[in-house]
Amino acid sequence: MARIHIDEWPPYSPSDQAKKDNVLIVAKLMVNAALTAPFTGGVPGHEAEIAYGQKELELIAREMERLAHKEVPERLKKPFLYEAVMVRESDVVVFLGNKRAHETPMDVGCGLCGGEPNCSFVYERLNHFSGIIDVTDRSRDTAIKGPVCVVRAHDLGYAIGSALWVAADCFVDSKACYSVGLAGRNLGFCMNSEIVAGILLGVASKNPYADIPPNYHLTNMSKQVDGIRKITTITRQIPNHPYHTFDPAKKAGSKDPGKEE
Amino acid sequence: MAVYDGLKATQEHLLDVARACALAAGRAPALSHRLELMAEIVTDDDLNPMIDVLATLGENSAFQLHDAVAFQDLAKRGMMPPVLLLGADLTKPALWDCGACGFKTCGEYVKYTSKNKGVGIGGYGPTCVWKAIDFGMACDFACACAARHCTEARIMFSVGAVSMMLGRLEGASFVLGLPIGPIGKNLWFDREAWKNILNFERKMMTQMAGGPSLWMAFSGGGNPILKTKPKWWEDPTFMKVEQDATFIEKDVNCQAKAYEKIMRYRGVFSDEDIPA
Repeated sequence: MARIHIDEWPPYSPSDQAKKDNVLIVAKLMVNAALTAPFTGGVPGHEAEIAYGQKELELIAREMERLAHKEVPERLKKPFLYEAVMVRESDVVVFLGNKRAHETPMDVGCGLCGGEPNCSFVYERLNHFSGIIDVTDRSRDTAIKGPVCVVRAHDLGYAIGSALWVAADCFVDSKACYSVGLAGRNLGFCMNSEIVAGILLGVASKNPYADIPPNYHLTNMSKQVDGIRKITTITRQIPNHPYHTFDPAKKAGSKDPGKEE
Repeated sequence: MAVYDGLKATQEHLLDVARACALAAGRAPALSHRLELMAEIVTDDDLNPMIDVLATLGENSAFQLHDAVAFQDLAKRGMMPPVLLLGADLTKPALWDCGACGFKTCGEYVKYTSKNKGVGIGGYGPTCVWKAIDFGMACDFACACAARHCTEARIMFSVGAVSMMLGRLEGASFVLGLPIGPIGKNLWFDREAWKNILNFERKMMTQMAGGPSLWMAFSGGGNPILKTKPKWWEDPTFMKVEQDATFIEKDVNCQAKAYEKIMRYRGVFSDEDIPA
């Protein structure tokens, strides 16, 4: 007989690990949904990658914290820091990337990229040979190397949307983030894409991505738990006693052994 | 107690599904959290101007003709699906300075956009890439909702673009149209009305344009034969790249005709300005 015990606490205990395995199954099914989402012209152009495990997620969170402090504009600093906490509280991260927006535009003259009835806005600003864009120079001056084909990038929305729909259908809490996608892409997830979104997945009695208090990167549950570990050890060293022979809770002078102060 | 005709009842039900899809689109998650989604449901005769303009554009463009012919046929058969229009102003930036649009900062983007905003065949630009992705998520939720209600989920660039040009969802820079239906099996894939629009030869030409090398004979001579018929070596057809002034002229005329129609529908031009 085999038993699978599942409990969300403590984190990364065998019981929590069993729950994470369930979330991993959902993550894989979400990728299926992302790949079958409606795309412009039905053209394939997306890739997915799944990050799983404490160490893997910690590396992503740290890259987000680096971006928060060193690269992104001030208004994104706190969202990036808060979302790094959410990564640590997640069970699985799914990355979805669009392989075409920066390399193989739709070439339809839709007007979205530059407001012109042709694709000149993109091609005049990128290195290309007769319309074949050269992406081998991967250096960047901005977080994302632009311009990109907007109608292709728009497709990524469908992939993310369908993935999130499946997560919601399975009652797995989810959140798609720019911060997670950017960090993951920098670490080599979905490396054929310039634009990557990161989807956090978490199963817990409380949705880990909602109800976020101020300075959450400093006030989250893991900090609070550590706060208890930090203080309790000190505190217990003061009211100590020789417990084999003496119970300070016992009422002095009483003959009744059960009677306490 | 009442007995309902099954087909009529389902046709009427489509409007309820359209409402559900609009609700789903509005509930879609977002990345930028700054998308202001607009929605409108257009039914029956109110779709006529869109189909008319689409057919005009279709005179020189297969993909617009493909949809125009299908809509005309559905109207004739009394099966016109309600169309959920979804749109948003994607030109407002997410304020992330990410660089995806091609500008270093959102400030530079706004400076450029304020002077250079323009329109292509389907939308206004420049566009904030993350807004476009958020808009995709909203559209995807509408499609997923339609699929869950057992209706078609074929979201269309063609009908959305002409709706925008005709002034629907004012202020939107990009509009897509999701026909909720038609009822029946896979009618957007198996388009009855399309059967006789392109003959076999034109169907083959379209297919060859998509991948000419599949039909290409020995190319080492520098002037390859394209195998367009069973005895391709007799009276051969050669592959040639050339400018096509006739096509361009036809295209310009089509665009002008469509533009005039749009202006008439919007009441900008009348017969007094240009006699019909």
